Amino acid sequence: MTENEVSDAGLSTEALTLAYRDRVVIRDLSLTVPDRRMTSILGPNGCGKSTLLKAMARLIAPAGGHVRLGGEDIGAIDTRALARRLAILPQSPKAPEGITVADLVRRGRTPWRGFLSPWTEQDANVCRQALEAVGLGELADRSIDELSGGQRQRAWIALVLAQDTSTLLLDEPTTWLDLTHQLEVLSLLQSRNRAHGTTVVCVLHDLNLAARYSDHLILLGPSGLVAVGPPGEVVTVENLDAAFGLKALVVPDPVTGCPMVVPH
Amino acid sequence: MKGWLVLISLLAGALLLSLMIGQVLMTPAMLWTGLWSGTGPGALTLRVLRGPSTLTAAGAGAVLGASGTVFQILLRNPLAAPDVMGFMSGAGLAVVAGVAFGVLLPLPLLAAAGGLLAALVVTLLSVRPNGAQSTFTLILVGIGVSFFAAAASSFLVTRMPPQEAADAQRWLVGSLSARSWQHAAQVWGIGSLLFLVLAVQVRAMALLELGDDLAAGLGVRINRARTGLICTGVLLAAAGVAVAGPVPFVALMAGPLGMRIAGVTQPGARLTAAAITGALVTVLADVVSRSLVPGLQLPVGVMTGLMGAPYLLWLLMKEAEAGEL
Repeated sequence: MTENEVSDAGLSTEALTLAYRDRVVIRDLSLTVPDRRMTSILGPNGCGKSTLLKAMARLIAPAGGHVRLGGEDIGAIDTRALARRLAILPQSPKAPEGITVADLVRRGRTPWRGFLSPWTEQDANVCRQALEAVGLGELADRSIDELSGGQRQRAWIALVLAQDTSTLLLDEPTTWLDLTHQLEVLSLLQSRNRAHGTTVVCVLHDLNLAARYSDHLILLGPSGLVAVGPPGEVVTVENLDAAFGLKALVVPDPVTGCPMVVPH
Repeated sequence: MKGWLVLISLLAGALLLSLMIGQVLMTPAMLWTGLWSGTGPGALTLRVLRGPSTLTAAGAGAVLGASGTVFQILLRNPLAAPDVMGFMSGAGLAVVAGVAFGVLLPLPLLAAAGGLLAALVVTLLSVRPNGAQSTFTLILVGIGVSFFAAAASSFLVTRMPPQEAADAQRWLVGSLSARSWQHAAQVWGIGSLLFLVLAVQVRAMALLELGDDLAAGLGVRINRARTGLICTGVLLAAAGVAVAGPVPFVALMAGPLGMRIAGVTQPGARLTAAAITGALVTVLADVVSRSLVPGLQLPVGVMTGLMGAPYLLWLLMKEAEAGEL
């Protein structure tokens, strides 16, 4: 695969500027999210991580520049066509009262269904696979309210898996979960990435988990992009200082050999 | 399935009670004879005295119940309903103003115009400087608009000739007295049409219920879908107001009640359950308001108010406990 093809197939930003009213959050950002890889967006609170992710999903219109998906300006893609190619799971979604896991996940099929077309075997299969992928096959008929925090988050992930897109964006999918469940969620996204070649982009808080599970990192600081590239190149003493003002050691993770941050 | 049977049996029972009870008690046998022979007191009751008003009550309750559920799903808040948020008072004000100033338009059109205008005012007033809009602001502004429209209606009523004023005052509370087949046909006709319009939007509704960002990611054009649903919801409420006046609390109560009785959670089923429950509540309230004080027919809105106000208080306390207020 040549360099050119990679950027054509995937998600990229071009001189992207994002602002809320007059406050510019991201200025003039150009980067490419590697196709069929797992990418994490990192940075301190308020640096625009979520804003960038939302712009990549067209939930926010850029103040300047473009987001491109497969070379096309994302703003020009038909809404339903976009929903078949790219899914986003926002931060801490709220489930309707009493809804079951299966009913929630079924709604992920909406972009694939015609106006009056009935529920198909194909739809049922994709939903079943999504539920099995997140390990909730047994709990499909339970109400979301009855699930634990980790199970609930996996149900939401099943919803976007059922959407069956080649690109999957997730805003802080591990927040509010304990460590075991954080690992569970990230492993699940990783296996989806490895098995289906899904391009996964997450906003994450935990540097070590991000370094461990991602192929590619985007590190933002208070004044914009600090570094972008594989974890080994991005997680360095200098970059951590620039992004977080954090004085830390970076040592190899004894389990995986990925860079690990040890604050002073 | 069992929940649906309970709901439908309750409605059937309420309809039968409504036909039986009044100044003269009609037994089911008398009604039956009247239905098939077309003569006698049973037939008179069915055709003139209680038939049209019972059907009108059921139709008005159904459209109000569905309307409330549209807003409860859309705003993801059990407090959201056209009665609480001023759309019904707006519709009522438009009707009273139309009568007071002699505007010769059909009542449903006046009510629809008033309801839509109130919805527009509530939406515009609750936009914050940063462009965001919180559900709670919408509801509070709606309560304000509701009071304003009710006060303006009362003001207009005081300027009417005495007899007209008495009728208008009664209608403003919500009244089903002297309803004809024309009223019944009107609310059922418009209501059925709006239900079809709503059915087309059920899928978008199921996604909007998950939050705007998820819905947008799943291919919903948020602003368009939201506008369509708000308009349908307001028109449903206006259809009810046009035949029964701004009957309070039916729209607020019917959704949550129907959802629990029928045991459903999906938007399409919730709307259907809310419509049946709205009909049930309104017909029952009408029966009670007709028979509570012998020889006096209370406006149906007095009864729904007596039933609904404690529910609203309970809901407010529950929301406050959950930290939503």
